[in-house]
Amino acid sequence: MAEAGTTLYFIVTLFAASIRMAVPLTLAGLGETFSERSGVLNIGLEGIMLSGAFFSFMAAFITQNILIGVICGCLGGLLISMIHAYMSFKCYVNQTIVGIALNFFSLGLTSFLFLAYFGRTTTVPQCPVVKPIKIPLLSDIPIVGDVLFNQDIFVYFTVFACFVSYIILYKTVWGTNIDSIGEHPKAADTVGLNVKRTRYVTAIINGCLGGLGGAYLTLALLGFFMENITSGKGFIALVVVILGRRHPFGVLFAALLVGAAEALQFRLQTLGLGLPSQVFIMLPYVVTVIVLLFSIGKSSDPAALGISYKRSSR
Amino acid sequence: MKYTKELVSTLIIIIITFLLAAVLIIVAKYDPGMALRSFFYGIFGSLHGFAEIMVRATPLILAGLGVSVAFSTGFFNIGAEGQLYMGAIAITCVGVFLPPMPAVLHITIAITAGFLLGGIWAVIPGFLKAKYGVSEIITTIMFNYIAINIVGILVRTVLKNTESALPYSSVMPKSLSFPLLLYPTRLHGGFILAIVSAVLIYIIMKKTTIGYELRVVGFNKRAGTCSGISVYKNIVLASLISGGLAGLAGVSEIAGVHHRLLEGISPGYGYIAIIVALMGRNHPLGVIISAIGLSALQVGANSMQRQAGIPTSITSVLMGVIVLLALSKNIMFSGILKKMRIK
Repeated sequence: MAEAGTTLYFIVTLFAASIRMAVPLTLAGLGETFSERSGVLNIGLEGIMLSGAFFSFMAAFITQNILIGVICGCLGGLLISMIHAYMSFKCYVNQTIVGIALNFFSLGLTSFLFLAYFGRTTTVPQCPVVKPIKIPLLSDIPIVGDVLFNQDIFVYFTVFACFVSYIILYKTVWGTNIDSIGEHPKAADTVGLNVKRTRYVTAIINGCLGGLGGAYLTLALLGFFMENITSGKGFIALVVVILGRRHPFGVLFAALLVGAAEALQFRLQTLGLGLPSQVFIMLPYVVTVIVLLFSIGKSSDPAALGISYKRSSR
Repeated sequence: MKYTKELVSTLIIIIITFLLAAVLIIVAKYDPGMALRSFFYGIFGSLHGFAEIMVRATPLILAGLGVSVAFSTGFFNIGAEGQLYMGAIAITCVGVFLPPMPAVLHITIAITAGFLLGGIWAVIPGFLKAKYGVSEIITTIMFNYIAINIVGILVRTVLKNTESALPYSSVMPKSLSFPLLLYPTRLHGGFILAIVSAVLIYIIMKKTTIGYELRVVGFNKRAGTCSGISVYKNIVLASLISGGLAGLAGVSEIAGVHHRLLEGISPGYGYIAIIVALMGRNHPLGVIISAIGLSALQVGANSMQRQAGIPTSITSVLMGVIVLLALSKNIMFSGILKKMRIK
């Protein structure tokens, strides 16, 4: 009986943790979905998340207010996303290269400012974290209640954001406009759609949601910041977008899959199996690659993905 | 006139970079005068500083050449970091598992093994890209994280030095060390390996049919296919060469600097190599120059950290900004250039 109890507990906490691990990937993935559907490939997602994580932490640490932290996280993500947009829409620089450069920029900036502000301390500066919200009645359901309805506000917001994104992308004219701009910007421009403005708007969405994803790391999962805290989560989010085929719920499920690998990794590390911890740390990255292999041949990238649109070009 | 324009925009980039560095340093309340002094002292102040620039430039040239070959073929290899670690694993395995042998033979085997293992680590993403269209940007980055963790596992298990509790391999035999070139500095034979590789890559890329086909695939895949050049073959080949060169960077770091495998042998050389290739415009000579330039930036920054306490991550900020400005200079500076009446 006791054995079954611990197994059940293990499974419940594992599922609950998988959902939490999936939140930053889903949020960033949703933002990137908007961006990629409009034909803009932003490899700088890692930098967006990192910037969001840093600025949300700093704001929450200084003001001790989580809401201000969340807002600053969004703004931090927005900063990187807007540089990307300006560089690729105004200066027609290769979007991939801008993204790579921005990852450098963001990594350097956040580490520099963090070290400059706190110095090399032995104590880790902490910021307040969000508390789980129990949804009345629903959270009393055994197992499911604990897994789904005893989570923090970000988790509920993520599901909400998926629904909203689905409605925007599939049920509104603007969503169709985004798709047509991603498929054939010239044709879209010819029928009077504003290619640049639409792409700027999707870039804003990408920056805010990516920044929010980063903010979740510091304001909910960890409560502290360190150099390169995202450690590739932005890139994993890019995979999640590909695997989810740029569909909001696809992104959510893909993120849950990778999130489960990450949650399992932490659990396995604590079991003391006598293996080096690197075996487990490696797991999410290996799962990501394997998962990517399953998407072979199924991807249908927007035709104009990653190509700058110049109005005067032929 | 074209050169004047280039020169002026380069000057503007340098000025902006310096101003940005100054702003960051002042905002963070460090001493800017001290920073400037220690930066230049670190670079020009001693023979040691000069040699250190070359030591750091060595892996950057090798990995940067690799990235540039890949970029020229339209293969966005972001995985030089992982490929470098694979090269380091290869030479360590050669040192630990093979019996003693003459130095020339030993180092030749190690270099070949490093090239191959680094190459294989890049060929997998290359194959997936060429055959199935899987984004190489994602796979190579994931392979970086996997390779770094493999090193972590190996130095704790198979390759662990049993006489020590710390996670690193035993010291490589003398026959697997590059000779020192400028005693007592750390400048080692890997630098010559890097320069020779650059010359070879120049010849292959610019003077042979192999290089021509690689560049055609990078320039226009469709035109390549129409004239009978296999896109598949060339992307796989480019990834092999690219990963192999990054693997050599790992070999050189073990044989020339660390002499044993341990975690964190690369402070992001593989990532900086991307910037090296971009700044060097995928030309071997450009790669050498930009590698030395970025290496000097790092050596100067290290000196700033020692003497003025400024975090070295400032170099990442500056490198990101330099790339952005360099790529967008024609449009971003067009207003300024017009005002200065430079066409």
